[in-house]
Amino acid sequence: MSYELVAGLETHIELSTKTKIFCQCTTEFGGEPNTHCCPICIGMPGTLPKLNKKVVEYAVKAGIALNCKIRNISKMDRKNYVYPDLPKAYQISQFDKPICYGGYIKLSSGKNININRIHIEEDAGKLVHERGNTYIDYNRGGVPLIEIVTEPDFSSIDEVLEYLEKLRLVMKYIGVSDVKMQEGSLRCDVNISVRKKGEEKLGTRTEIKNMNSLSFIAKAMEYEFERHVDILESGGEIEQETRRYDSELNITESMRGKEDAEDYRYFKEPDLVDIIVSEEEIKKLKSELPQLPDEKLHVFINEYSLPEDDAELLIKYKKIAEYFEEASKGIKNKKIVSNYILGQIFRRMPTDSEKEECSISIPPEYLNELISLIENKKINSSMASNALEKMLDSGKPVREFISEKDMQGIDENTLREICLRALSENKEAVESYLGGKEKAFSSLIGYIMKETKGKADPQKAADILKEIIKA
Amino acid sequence: MSKIKYIQKLLKAKEVSCVELTKNYLNNIEKQNKALNAYVNVTGGEAIKTAKKVDEKIAAGEELMPLEGIPMSLKDNISTKDIETTCCSKMLKGYYPIYDATVWEILKNQNSVLLGKTNMDEFAMGSSCETSIFGTTLNPHNTDYVAGGSSGGAAASVAGNMAAFGLGSDTGGSIRQPASFCGIVGFKPTYGTVSRYGVVAYASSLDQVGPITDSVEDAAIVYDCLSLYDPKDSTSIGSKTGTCDKLHNSIKGLKIGIADEYFEGINEDIISSIEEAIKVYQDAGAEIVNFEIPKLKAFLPVYFIIACAEASSNLGRFDGIRYGYKTDSYNDVNDMICKNRSEGFGKEVQKRILLGTYALSSGYYDAYYKKAQNLRYSIIQDFKNIFKSCDVIITPSVPVTAFKKGEALTDPIATYMMDICTVPANIAGLPAISVPCGFDKNKMPIGMQIIGNSFEDYKVFNAAYQYEKQTKKSDEISPYPEVKI
Amino acid sequence: MITKEEVLKIAKLAKLSVNNDEIDMLIEDMSKIIEYADAINTVTEDEDNEVEFYNINNSANAFNEDIVIDSYDRDEILKNREGGEKGYFVIRKRHRG
Repeated sequence: MSYELVAGLETHIELSTKTKIFCQCTTEFGGEPNTHCCPICIGMPGTLPKLNKKVVEYAVKAGIALNCKIRNISKMDRKNYVYPDLPKAYQISQFDKPICYGGYIKLSSGKNININRIHIEEDAGKLVHERGNTYIDYNRGGVPLIEIVTEPDFSSIDEVLEYLEKLRLVMKYIGVSDVKMQEGSLRCDVNISVRKKGEEKLGTRTEIKNMNSLSFIAKAMEYEFERHVDILESGGEIEQETRRYDSELNITESMRGKEDAEDYRYFKEPDLVDIIVSEEEIKKLKSELPQLPDEKLHVFINEYSLPEDDAELLIKYKKIAEYFEEASKGIKNKKIVSNYILGQIFRRMPTDSEKEECSISIPPEYLNELISLIENKKINSSMASNALEKMLDSGKPVREFISEKDMQGIDENTLREICLRALSENKEAVESYLGGKEKAFSSLIGYIMKETKGKADPQKAADILKEIIKA
Repeated sequence: MSKIKYIQKLLKAKEVSCVELTKNYLNNIEKQNKALNAYVNVTGGEAIKTAKKVDEKIAAGEELMPLEGIPMSLKDNISTKDIETTCCSKMLKGYYPIYDATVWEILKNQNSVLLGKTNMDEFAMGSSCETSIFGTTLNPHNTDYVAGGSSGGAAASVAGNMAAFGLGSDTGGSIRQPASFCGIVGFKPTYGTVSRYGVVAYASSLDQVGPITDSVEDAAIVYDCLSLYDPKDSTSIGSKTGTCDKLHNSIKGLKIGIADEYFEGINEDIISSIEEAIKVYQDAGAEIVNFEIPKLKAFLPVYFIIACAEASSNLGRFDGIRYGYKTDSYNDVNDMICKNRSEGFGKEVQKRILLGTYALSSGYYDAYYKKAQNLRYSIIQDFKNIFKSCDVIITPSVPVTAFKKGEALTDPIATYMMDICTVPANIAGLPAISVPCGFDKNKMPIGMQIIGNSFEDYKVFNAAYQYEKQTKKSDEISPYPEVKI
Repeated sequence: MITKEEVLKIAKLAKLSVNNDEIDMLIEDMSKIIEYADAINTVTEDEDNEVEFYNINNSANAFNEDIVIDSYDRDEILKNREGGEKGYFVIRKRHRG
């Protein structure tokens, strides 16, 4: 009896606006408890919300980048429930007219994960448990969120992980969120069900919450899938419920039962007015979007002929991709540029965050200059590598380290002389090579490079050597 | 003559200092408030401080702003920074706002002299102040009767000569009904012309703050000062035009709409009073236009459902965690919240929260809340049509005159029915004023309501002013606390 | 007629506790009012209106700019709870023996 997994995702993303969604308190992370608050975001009597324009712009940008349709007229609604972290006892959200709907993310397999909706809402405060006491800090209360809900289109855990990677990348590219799972600016709930392979009807689903890393999501889904299968195999029924993932025990446990299902009594928020986004406004926001990762990848692979893996590594960090593009302007063989970035330069940025920051000590123009010299055969690759190290150490351009004279390289006659000398001084190597050992040849090249202090063009030297040997 | 203008005339002429004036009002409050119970909090110290500031300005020969130096009262649901704001509920007893309501900020900036906070039905839910934790407010005309509600304290403070003007709030008639009961003027503005920021919400899409005054001109002066666009209130638009400069417009040819439905089941004395008023208008050259409003009976349920639904949500925030009443002992957080709310809120408030929750709940939302909103929309369209053929509408303010203490609480439906004349203006967001137009056989005041089209508040004031002019001697001002020179 | 179950369910949602001696009175009161409210279902409107989209004055797009304004002093924020504890609002304190 083979079972297949069906899943859908609800992802909450904190928008990186400077101020909260309904008041002008800062959204800065950290800060002493309750120091980023005002009467509005702690729900004092008589206060009224007012919508942050940037939140709408960011939400629309996210929708455009995820291929959604944008609703020209939308509204906010109240979602009523009581919980200490919700100061007004209602969350202002969007119920039936979300600002974006009907989008998708295309996976590398070509399959589309369809996005049902994206809506705007406010975050709640944070409960703090300390030595049996429960406290609350409302700094996070009112921070703007978008919620992205997919259709139950996932059929494997890998697809979920790929979707999340792609989603995060797109959000970073368009600059609406820093989407850091560990910091809580990206939170994911998974709805999962199982059914017999080939069956069309969906099984009863359960919702899993509280997974704050990709690996936890994978583990939780694995556990839950098995749990569903075990229950069904033993003739039982899945109870529709919300479950919490426990990362220490690697299990999911029930959070609330059916009888506690909340009735949110949604109704249109009377303290706010409608949100109208015109077609011109949508066009304007679209034009402000940078080239998206998938498109960039396509260009890198198909137009720049970069290998797929290299291209993916470059686009993984928006600033690196842009650095690459700047540095490879006018360069014919852009692979050379990417090699240097992915090799020598990446070695100096071992962590992900350094790569995110693109903390390279030289501007892309300097790298561009260096590579141009290689392309124009003014310098060879070993000279270039050396120079680059010095450039990265000092932040200075190539001409500080390679003079005009150095760039002249070795003229053909001099090179020929040195080649002859190489052959006469390394008779054993010549014998080895003639005897079939290809490796011996490189030691000849090595000798020539040493003699010319790296200035010779190794390819040219090889040609000359072979020519002489043949003769 | 407008009392506000009269007071400013005295102040400018230095016939009385602002401090003396304020002290006179405070003395009157001391004399009368025990019997009337209009004020729940008298802010004497603040008042004198402000009055001193005004006297300094006068001494320096500076111009006075329209409401400068005028002693006034604020309903106790209007947030006043560092001054207790209780909404007359156990839930907010001891609550001190950390910010000012916009309407209070405007008055504060004009150095209006705040005499104190006035009594109201708990969280503005009621028509007689009988649900207030401070007891009911009595009618200055006859203390056997109530002053009305929910802005009963505001009305009694003005009618009882304990304030030159007061601010109240009106969700279903809470300014107009007490003004009518107390024989004074009460005005509910077009929705969106006066900021709601800082006014503790009852029903967000119905609430408006408005003036309660002796005369129409006073209400217009106050309204013109308050009807500014407030960026803090997303529903705020502000007034599109001033009203004071249009009070004297001729009402010849003014089209006044009358509908029979408004007069069904109304007290006889009231009907004849309004009929006399209509004659006054006709004599002045106004035209009477008959219109129909067949859905009128449905307005009350529409109002009640929307009001209770919004209130049930607005009052959710009172959980005792950040402010408000907290119970002594509890088992867990949920128990604590339930106890805070059940002990902090009065019975009427709890009932309306339950009704509102019911109207929004799954399974009932379509039949009640959604249906009410649909009807509301069509009511708004109906009024748009009605105002195509008339400038203003005249109706009684309330089907009855002031009732005796305790009479209201017996039959809930009958109590709610009292709002039948006033709720339409809240449902449709229209400007409406109550002006005194006579007395019943028990010598209790009768009020006439004039309703206008959205953003035509000036037409309402103009019609009201012209009526008042015909029926009141223009230089007569109601009794004023004795000025000691 | 609203049932006792319904009243208790509503009370739970609204976080209000209803005493046993009050509940009968409450059921009676609420039933009367709800019955009265049912009157709206006798009125038929002409079309099905997109009601969520009306707002009284047809206003739209009331926005704040994304500019930070200084938050309130924590002392003010916690003022009505006597300064809170360690800068927090207290929700539950562990009862000591």
